[in-house]
Amino acid sequence: MLREFLALTRREFIKLRRNPQAIFTSLLLPLLYLLLFGQGFNINPAQYLPVGTPPGVIQDILHSYFRGAPNYYSYFSAGMVGFVAVTATLFLGANVIFDKLFGVFKRTRGTPAPSAAVFGSRLVAGSTQPIALAFFVLGLAVLFDHVPGLKGLQVTQSVGVVGVIYVVLAIVLLTLMFATLFLTFGVLIDVPQTYFAAVNVLNLPVLLTSDALYPWGSMPPWLQNISQYNPVSLAVNVLRETFFGSSAYPYSPAVYLLGLLAWSAVLIGIALALVRRALRPLE
Amino acid sequence: MAENHGAILAEDLVKVYGGKVRAVDGVSFDVRPGEIFGFLGPNGAGKTTSVSMLSAGLRPTSGRAVVDGLEVSRNPEQVKRHIGVIFQESTADGDLTGRENLEIAAGAYGMGRAESRKRADELLEKMHLGDSSERYAKTYSGGMRRRLELAVGLVHQPRILFLDEPTLGLDPQGRAGFWEFIQKIRQENGTTVFVTTHYLDEADTLCERIAIIDHGKIVATGTPTELKDRLGGDIVTIKTATENPDMTGVLHALPGVNSLQKKDASYRVKCASGETFVPLAVEAVSKAGVGVTGVIVKRPSLDEVFLEFTGREYREEEGPTATDRAVMIQRVQQNLRGRR
Repeated sequence: MLREFLALTRREFIKLRRNPQAIFTSLLLPLLYLLLFGQGFNINPAQYLPVGTPPGVIQDILHSYFRGAPNYYSYFSAGMVGFVAVTATLFLGANVIFDKLFGVFKRTRGTPAPSAAVFGSRLVAGSTQPIALAFFVLGLAVLFDHVPGLKGLQVTQSVGVVGVIYVVLAIVLLTLMFATLFLTFGVLIDVPQTYFAAVNVLNLPVLLTSDALYPWGSMPPWLQNISQYNPVSLAVNVLRETFFGSSAYPYSPAVYLLGLLAWSAVLIGIALALVRRALRPLE
Repeated sequence: MAENHGAILAEDLVKVYGGKVRAVDGVSFDVRPGEIFGFLGPNGAGKTTSVSMLSAGLRPTSGRAVVDGLEVSRNPEQVKRHIGVIFQESTADGDLTGRENLEIAAGAYGMGRAESRKRADELLEKMHLGDSSERYAKTYSGGMRRRLELAVGLVHQPRILFLDEPTLGLDPQGRAGFWEFIQKIRQENGTTVFVTTHYLDEADTLCERIAIIDHGKIVATGTPTELKDRLGGDIVTIKTATENPDMTGVLHALPGVNSLQKKDASYRVKCASGETFVPLAVEAVSKAGVGVTGVIVKRPSLDEVFLEFTGREYREEEGPTATDRAVMIQRVQQNLRGRR
């Protein structure tokens, strides 16, 4: 099992290395969001308050509007990490479909390699790039804070070892969860067009019901209610709470991580059951 | 593993798609160890579906498939370790080099890195791909890609090889080269070869036994010679100088004649052996005072066998010309003779 898994994982890494264009283009989307969307959209609700509003009141309003973040860019760039973890895993399933179309998947399935090795190799190798990308986004957002003329991510409290562990776990769990889902779509679907349609059906509602991009204070209560159970929001909450403090959050990062873990367990469980069925030795 | 079993056994195999399309409809045959067994049939006859059921890729609706003594539906994983499959389409990864394709395939069969590398070296050498081993598979010619497919199929040293239309689309040289490799592998390892092909002359030259499938059913099984013999022997056409006197009675009286048709001054005779019949016929006709102006002996080919059993002409998808085929067969025969 391990040898089969290692051989198939090696193949995935070779393919990744041979396609620097894909790595470059995957950087483009978060880069544009960080450089353009985040900079251009950097809302400051305080500017609409009447002149003479006491600074304490302004602070309170901003605090609840951005859930403890000092400004929109800081709030948004933590959200972008979650956003990237979802969008960068999107192509994993498409790769499976193209391998089916080119016969490569048929060859793998003709070998006695267990389905866990076939799926696991793609999951592990395929998740590394999105995970790296999420950390790249985080690093870039922090770096921008030191670039004159640009907004950046301002971490307002000491993160500490536990904080780092929380952040890493949130990013890894979220990425693995969506990588599993998109890979499962890839295994179950044979036609690229159907795959991309299915991905959009999942992708857009998940992202647009999360608080990854919207300021918390601008969301209507019903959307806030939905958002608090959204797995992307759960992961992003872990990051925001770690970076900006817990005062705007009802639960600790550990609770959000547990929520994310529960989501992952359920979705990965369903996905793997479907994959096992689809990849059973005899169709 | 007990050695007293056949290599492949199909017992009343049935595959029904969507509850009504009977792609394979009660197919039974057996393949002996070390044999090259040809599975022929027109497009859509059920060849690929049969191969998929035998090679643990598809579950039969009913019936039984036993490969190398293993019941396929009960031991699909184990069966995969005993067989190599060369699919119709290319399955090599074009973005990987020939060597990487082989090493990863070896790994997928559970071999470690060092063992995989050693096996890849052996196969690259054997398949004459050593010089191209570090090139991406997508840059390979059609023949090279087929040889790489074969190498990948052989990576785990299977006892039985399933080849599904392995030479489709190859030029005559490529096809000849491919079959040379198959013959070599069989001679070296005693590998059993189950092949579906569109090329009847390939089947005629290379297969020890043949089954013809049509509409999901086996319509004939036997050696190429047996199948051709079932057609009633050779066809000899004797042309005489004059239409009269009629030589029908004279020719009919000769031994081995099965049927005779006269048209003008030509006599079309179906007989057991053309070689034996021709001297007797020429002598008999000459004795009767009629000059023989021409003799044509035609051995029935598998094309005629196919026509007889399926009621249709065998249409090749990307058929080479008759000259191409003759060149290929000649080359394979020469090579086989050279090795003996």
